[in-house]
Amino acid sequence: MIEAHVRGHRARDEEDGSAESSWFWQLDSRVKIVGTFGLVVVASLITRPEIVLVALAAAVAIAAISRVFPKRLLVAYAAAFPFIAFASVSVFLFSGWERGFTMLARTSSCVILLLVLALGTETFDLFSGLRRLRVPGLITTLLMLTFRFLLLLSDELERMKISRKARGFSGGRSLLDRNALRVISFTAGMVLVRASARADRVYEGLKCKAFERDMKPWRSTSVGAVDVVFLASFAIIAGLLAFGQYGALS
Amino acid sequence: MHIPDGLMDPIVALIGMLEFLAFISVAVYFSSKRLQEKNLPRIAVLSAGIFVAQMLNFPIGGGTTGHLIGGALLAILAGPALAIVGMTVVLLIQSLMFGDGGITSFGLNALNMAIIAPLTGWGAYTLLKPLASGVGKVGSELAVAAAAWVSVFIAAAACAAELAVSYAISGGAYGIAAPVSIPAMLGYHAIIGIGEGIITAGVVGYLMAVSAETFITSQDMPAAKNRWHRILASRTAQATLAVLVVFALALPLYFLYSSQGEDGLERTMTDGDVEEGDALLTSPLDYGDSYFAALFAGVIGFVAVVLASLGILRVMKPMTRRD
Amino acid sequence: MNIIEMKDLVFAYEDKTVALKDVNLSIKRGEKVAIVGPNGAGKSTLLNVLAGFRMPFSGKVFVDGKELTQSSADSIRRDIGLIFQDPEDQIFMPTVEEDVAFGPRNLRLDNIDSRVQAALRATGIEQLAKRKLHKLSYGMKKRVAIAGILAMDPKVLLLDEPTSGLDPRARSELVKLLKGMDKTMLIATHDIEAAAEIVDRAIVLNVSIVVEGTMRDIIMKKEVLDQAGLEMPPVSKLFGVLDSMGYPVETLPVSMDQAVAELTKVIEREGRHLHAHVHEHDHTEDAKHAHKHIVPRKGADDART
Repeated sequence: MIEAHVRGHRARDEEDGSAESSWFWQLDSRVKIVGTFGLVVVASLITRPEIVLVALAAAVAIAAISRVFPKRLLVAYAAAFPFIAFASVSVFLFSGWERGFTMLARTSSCVILLLVLALGTETFDLFSGLRRLRVPGLITTLLMLTFRFLLLLSDELERMKISRKARGFSGGRSLLDRNALRVISFTAGMVLVRASARADRVYEGLKCKAFERDMKPWRSTSVGAVDVVFLASFAIIAGLLAFGQYGALS
Repeated sequence: MHIPDGLMDPIVALIGMLEFLAFISVAVYFSSKRLQEKNLPRIAVLSAGIFVAQMLNFPIGGGTTGHLIGGALLAILAGPALAIVGMTVVLLIQSLMFGDGGITSFGLNALNMAIIAPLTGWGAYTLLKPLASGVGKVGSELAVAAAAWVSVFIAAAACAAELAVSYAISGGAYGIAAPVSIPAMLGYHAIIGIGEGIITAGVVGYLMAVSAETFITSQDMPAAKNRWHRILASRTAQATLAVLVVFALALPLYFLYSSQGEDGLERTMTDGDVEEGDALLTSPLDYGDSYFAALFAGVIGFVAVVLASLGILRVMKPMTRRD
Repeated sequence: MNIIEMKDLVFAYEDKTVALKDVNLSIKRGEKVAIVGPNGAGKSTLLNVLAGFRMPFSGKVFVDGKELTQSSADSIRRDIGLIFQDPEDQIFMPTVEEDVAFGPRNLRLDNIDSRVQAALRATGIEQLAKRKLHKLSYGMKKRVAIAGILAMDPKVLLLDEPTSGLDPRARSELVKLLKGMDKTMLIATHDIEAAAEIVDRAIVLNVSIVVEGTMRDIIMKKEVLDQAGLEMPPVSKLFGVLDSMGYPVETLPVSMDQAVAELTKVIEREGRHLHAHVHEHDHTEDAKHAHKHIVPRKGADDART
C-alpha cells in the first residue's frame, strides 16, 4: 500500500500539469503546513457528533476545491481505512452507533485534510516550508536525502521484482513457504547493498556542489494575499469547530 | 500500526508526543558523534532502505500478506541511537508525504515504531547474541529472528495499550476497548512477527555474507575507567537498560489511566450523551485489569521469548560442539 | 604557475590494492588534457583524489598552489568541478533551473540568476530551464550536471567518462561543446576519438603514467596501446591500411575531423576539385557525392559508437 503511494507520488507530476496550476499547489508551503496542522489538531479534538459532521463536510469541501486528484485521494484514504474501520466498529459495538459514527467521521476528516496537504504540495516545497518554519536542519536534510534515495531505491526494487517474476517467483503462499521468504529477504538485502553503494556517490555529488549539512530554504516564495485569505479561512473554520465543541458545552 | 489522527485520546497523544520528543533529543545527543556529516547519507540510505523493505509484502497464509516494520533490522545494523533517528525519518516521510500516520498521533506512532521497536529489538539481540555465537550460523539467525519478533510484539502491545487507555479515559469517545484492541493487536502481530523474524534474519544473514563491513557496525566503546563505567559500558547492561526504558515509557500512561480512567468512563456515562443501554457489548473485564494485562502481556512476552531462545541456544550449544 | 601539480602520487585502497603509483603530472592554466587507459587503470581514482574525496597515500597534490590535505579538501573542491560519469548521482533538485542554482546558492554567490542563465547557455539547454529533471534523456541529464558545475565557476573541470552512455548524436554534440569551452579540463576517458578532438595533450595511465604526448603520438605507438589495453580508432586503422597500400598519408588522423582535414590536404595537392565542399561539410549534391566516394562517413559514424 505504501508502494502505491510512492508510485502515485511519482506518477502525479507526470500525468497532471493541471494540479500544479491549482491555487492550492501554488500557496506558500509554510502557510499550507500551518493551516493544515492547525485544522487537524482542532478536528482531532471534536467529540460532538454534529460538530464532527461539520468538520467532515469542511474536509471534503477543502479536498474538492483544492483540486487534489480525487482518485489518488481515495486510494490513499482506502489504505488508511482498515484501521479506521476497525476502531469505529469496535467503538460502535462498545459504546453505541453515535460514538462509532463520530469516530469514523473524525478520523476520516483528519486523514482527508492531511492527504490534501500531502498530495497537493510538491515534495521539495514541503521540505523547504518545514525548514523555514524552523524545523532543525538535521531533520530536513535527512528528509531530503532519504526522499532522494527512496526514489532511486523504488526503481531498483521495481527492477528486481520484474527479474524475480521473470524467473518464476510468485510471492509465495504462507509463512511456511521458506523459499519465498528467503527470496524476499535476499531482495531486501540486495536493495540495501545497492543503495549504500550509491549513497556515498550521491553524497559526493552533493559535496561537489558545496553542500553542507544544513539544507537552506531553497524556495524563496513570500506570503501573498491569497495565502493570507487561505490562512484566515482555515483559522475561521478551526475557530468555528472549536466553538461548536467547547463553546456550546459551557 | 500507523495510527491516524483523531483515533487516540488527545491527552494520550500529547503524552506520546512529549515522550517522543524527550527521547529523540536524547537519541540525537547520544548519536551526535556518529551523526557526523559523513554518516548522514548512511542513515538516509538505511531509512530509505527500511521504507522500501516495508513495501515488500510477505505471505501469511490464506491469501493475506503482511509487511516488515524494520525497527529491529535497523537497530541490529546501525545500533539503537541511529536506528531511532532513522525510523523517525521514515515515519515523518510516511505521514507528511504519503498521509500514512498522522500529525497529532505522530508522537505515539514514533514511540511505538521508532523507539520501542528498535530498542526492544536491539536489547533482545544483544542479550541473545553472546550465547548464539557459540552455536554458529543457525544460532545467530535464531537470535536475530527472536529479536525481530519481540520488537514487533512489544510495539503492538504498546499500541494496544495506548488504544485501550484512550478508550478508558475518554469514556469511549476515542481509542479501542481493551478486550478488542489487546487480543486483536497482539494476535495479529504475533503472526506478523514470525514473518518479520524470518525476513530480518534472512536480510542480516545476507548482509553478513555479502558486505559485512558496510553495515554491521562495530560500535567501539571507550575504555572503561572504573567499575561502574565498566558495568555501564557492557553490552548486557546497556541492553537491559534499553528494555527497562521501554517499559518505563508505559508508566505515564498507567498513571493517567489510574487517575482518570474509571472516573472518565463513569463521567461520560452520566453526561447523558450515551445511555449505557446503547452499547451492544459491555466490557467483560475490569479496565484496570485489562490495562495491566497489556503491560503484563508485553513483559511476559519479552521475557518468555528471551528465556526460550536462551534455552534453545543452550541446548544447541553442546550439540554443535560434538560435531 | 601550473593549476594542477602532482608529485610522486601514490594511492592505495584500504585492502592495499595500489591504484596509482608514482604519478607526476602538471597541467597549465587553460590546458585540456585527457587521461586515457583501460577500465581499472586508476583514471577515476585520480579524479577523485584531485577532488579531495580520497587522500593520497604518499606524494603531494597542489591545486592552484594550495596543497591538498584533509583540512584543505573542502576549500580545494571550490576550485575543482568534478563531473561524474553517471549524471543521476549528481543531479538533485526537481527542476533543471533549481538544480543548476543549487551549487551557487550553497556557495552564497551573487547574481545567481545570471550565473544559471550563463551555465545553461554554455551547455545549450536554455530551453529546458523549467523542465522536470527526471523526465529528461540521459544526454540532457549529463548536460544539466555539467551546467550545475559550470554555474559554480570552478577553475578546473574534471570529467569522468563524459561520452559514455550517450547516443552518437548526443556524443558528438557534447564533444563539440567541450571543445569550444574555454576552461582548463582534465578528461578521463577510453574514448580516444572524442579525446583527440577535445584535448591538446594526453596521458596514458595504467596505475602509473605509461606515456605522455599528443593524441597522435600516442596512437602511433602500437605497443603502448596494446600495453594499456586500448585500441586504435577505426579512422586511424583505415588510414593505416591506406598508408600501407601506398596512399600518401602525411599524419595519421585520430578523429573524423582530422581525417577530413587530411583528405582535404591530399585532394588539394592532387587535383583541387573537391576542396570547398568537403571542407564546409556542405550537403549539396556534390558534397554528398564526395563523401560517398572519399570519406566513408556513415560507416565511420557507426563504427565509433
